[in-house]
Amino acid sequence: MQRLTKLISLAALLVAPSMATAAEVNVVSWGGAYTESQKLGYGDPYQEMSGVQVNWLDYQGNLDSIKSQVESGTITYDIIDVFAKDTITGCDEGYFVEFDFDNDFPPAPDGTPASQDFFAPMPSKCAVGNILYSWNYAYHTENINFPGTYPSTIGDFFDPDKYPGKRSIYGSAMSNLEIALMADGVPSSEVYDYMLDNGIDRALDKLTELCTHPKGGCITWSAGAQPPEQLVSGEVVMATGWNGRHFNAIHTEGSPLKMVWDGQLLDYEYFALVNGGPNQEEAMKALQYFTSTEGLAGSAKHIAYAPFRISSLDVITAAEPWFNSEATGPMEIMPHMPTAPVNTENYLLLDPIFWADNETEINDQWDAWKSNTL
Amino acid sequence: MTNGEIRTSDGELLSVKLKKVESRKRTGALVLVLPLLLFIIITYIFPIIQMLQRSVDNTQMNDLLNNTYQVIQNWDGTDFPPEEVVKTFYNDLKYLSENKLHGKIAVRLNYEKGGFSSLIKKTVRKLDSFDIDGNYLQQFKDVHKRWADQEYWLALKRATVPYHGRKYLASFDFKQDFDGSIVRIEEKKRINVTLWLRTIYVALGVTLCCLILAYPIAHLLSVLPTRYSNLLMICVLLPFWTSLLVRTSSWMVLLQTQGVLNDFLVFLGIVADENRLELMYNMTGTFIAMTQILLPFMVLPLYSVMKTISPSLMRAATSMGATPFHAFRKIYFPLTYAGISAGSILVFVLAIGYYITPALVGGAKGTLISNRIAYHMQSTLDWSYATAMATILLVGVLVVYYVYNRVVGIDNMRLG
Repeated sequence: MQRLTKLISLAALLVAPSMATAAEVNVVSWGGAYTESQKLGYGDPYQEMSGVQVNWLDYQGNLDSIKSQVESGTITYDIIDVFAKDTITGCDEGYFVEFDFDNDFPPAPDGTPASQDFFAPMPSKCAVGNILYSWNYAYHTENINFPGTYPSTIGDFFDPDKYPGKRSIYGSAMSNLEIALMADGVPSSEVYDYMLDNGIDRALDKLTELCTHPKGGCITWSAGAQPPEQLVSGEVVMATGWNGRHFNAIHTEGSPLKMVWDGQLLDYEYFALVNGGPNQEEAMKALQYFTSTEGLAGSAKHIAYAPFRISSLDVITAAEPWFNSEATGPMEIMPHMPTAPVNTENYLLLDPIFWADNETEINDQWDAWKSNTL
Repeated sequence: MTNGEIRTSDGELLSVKLKKVESRKRTGALVLVLPLLLFIIITYIFPIIQMLQRSVDNTQMNDLLNNTYQVIQNWDGTDFPPEEVVKTFYNDLKYLSENKLHGKIAVRLNYEKGGFSSLIKKTVRKLDSFDIDGNYLQQFKDVHKRWADQEYWLALKRATVPYHGRKYLASFDFKQDFDGSIVRIEEKKRINVTLWLRTIYVALGVTLCCLILAYPIAHLLSVLPTRYSNLLMICVLLPFWTSLLVRTSSWMVLLQTQGVLNDFLVFLGIVADENRLELMYNMTGTFIAMTQILLPFMVLPLYSVMKTISPSLMRAATSMGATPFHAFRKIYFPLTYAGISAGSILVFVLAIGYYITPALVGGAKGTLISNRIAYHMQSTLDWSYATAMATILLVGVLVVYYVYNRVVGIDNMRLG
């Protein structure tokens, strides 16, 4: 009898893990306030609805973990939250699943097919839109270095004479070259045409001027949570960053930061489904919910990133005030979106194809510059 | 008794019997070390060989574009490739796009020359509209103006060979020019040589700092009464037992411009509040943190050597009239050579491959070659580039070891 119990418990032990893996999905995203908004917005609701456990993992936006998982044959990721340029590379390498877009993703509540409900066409067949976010910059309003006047243009970020103090910029070339050119007077519509035509040198000169200026100076950030932290700690006086992270510092945590939208870079963020992931079928179902009208609107309840679906925006507008936190109380979220008309007076749409093409070469020059200048 | 041969009690020749026993013992010993040997081969030797191979291996590209490779090698690289080459490339591309493999060549060609990624995709989309009797080169040029740039065809020629050493050239900021000669890359893109030199400089500097700091500590450890020296030993070992990441993060807390150390200096009035010292995100940070982290590796070998030096030697020297300094220089110091060399080589070898600490506290001016390797592993996914640099690093360490063995002799090494 005892032996039988032992056998049964042993069998249960062997079966249990396989049962557990059948009902969970691993989602990799950027961590911090962003992952929190995804978890609260659609991760937890989906988990409750379907009984499938959604696990959130953090990463810093490199495809190396996927590459090594594919090469070693032990893939643990199911869904990954990626830059547009990485959906292109990941799709080319066969790491991600190609979608049959209108069949794979649900239409809007009014019946508009998915491909038309999303703002923009996808950069690759493996991408499904998630949010629109912005690279803008923020400053600390109680900073003693800015008596009376506050920065308001992208040019001010590059003007240490007027606004002395150290800046924090992204550790890679992407975003920095664009804002440098815009600050140097290149119209946003011409930035990318200009880039390969001596534009990189000009952008780096502009950055050198700022970073080697006795009143300026630069440090770099790599994780999205860093810029607000560096501003709050006083390490820097201005920092570029992702608008949702600044928003979170201001409206959820109540830090005295302020964003400048002039010269912002609008960018899209995507989900991709990992090819051969451990729970591919369940993951596809979860992804369908995440990127549904309801799912995408849900995450905007917690962070000021614009949902990729037009129908989600309608849901939000109809139900404002959509945002609520202890620091602010109920608050309208639409005016804080990177796509809001007041925030898009001077903006540039980031070009993922340009970066997929030229990133390696530009970053060689960028790293050489960084190592000699910063 | 014949020929004076000695036999054992069972009548065998003693020499034969001895050999048998010896060989049985050897087999026994071999069986005992076999697990370890296999472990080392599987987890150490084999990956290293794989790494070496990966740094020169380009067979995947060669397989995918094999037909093109066969013909493009006959093209001398002047002007544009002949029609036959372009046509073969067209057919290869068509086959690849039908099997959804063109993405793989797009990524790899893009390592050779920026712009290939979108070029291949745009070309693939237009493949069906090609006139198969027409002029292929002209049609390629019509699809995208980049095909009218000879550089792209040359890059295609370079990228299809099965094995190459270009990543090794690139590791030292060189490249193969279109005519096969080896030239330095554009000045503004040179980064690796700077980082190699900086890595060696930091490794040597950290070794020296460790030596200067560790020598008195080790001496103190060896002469203090046991109950004090044990306490001191724990102080040396405690950080040794703490996680590397924890120690590095603690340094970040201490060294920030708004950090503990700066606050303290401001409090004492040594530095002004608006002129706080920059102790992190630069070379200073890398030096401070790495020296502290590697210090035990210098203290322990020194201590083990100093412990064996009899105090009577120094006393004898002074009794014969040597000043304390003279006695130290002539007697004590030379006796610690074994410890100095062992500690130095240990710290140097560890420092040369250091990764996490410079990545966290080094900023742009304090990053080392290992961070560059990580960059190619993680961001560009160009693993053959990363492995080429890793191989160079490995060879460098082996050279240091070889020189050490010739100069000092590895038998003299005392690691504690």
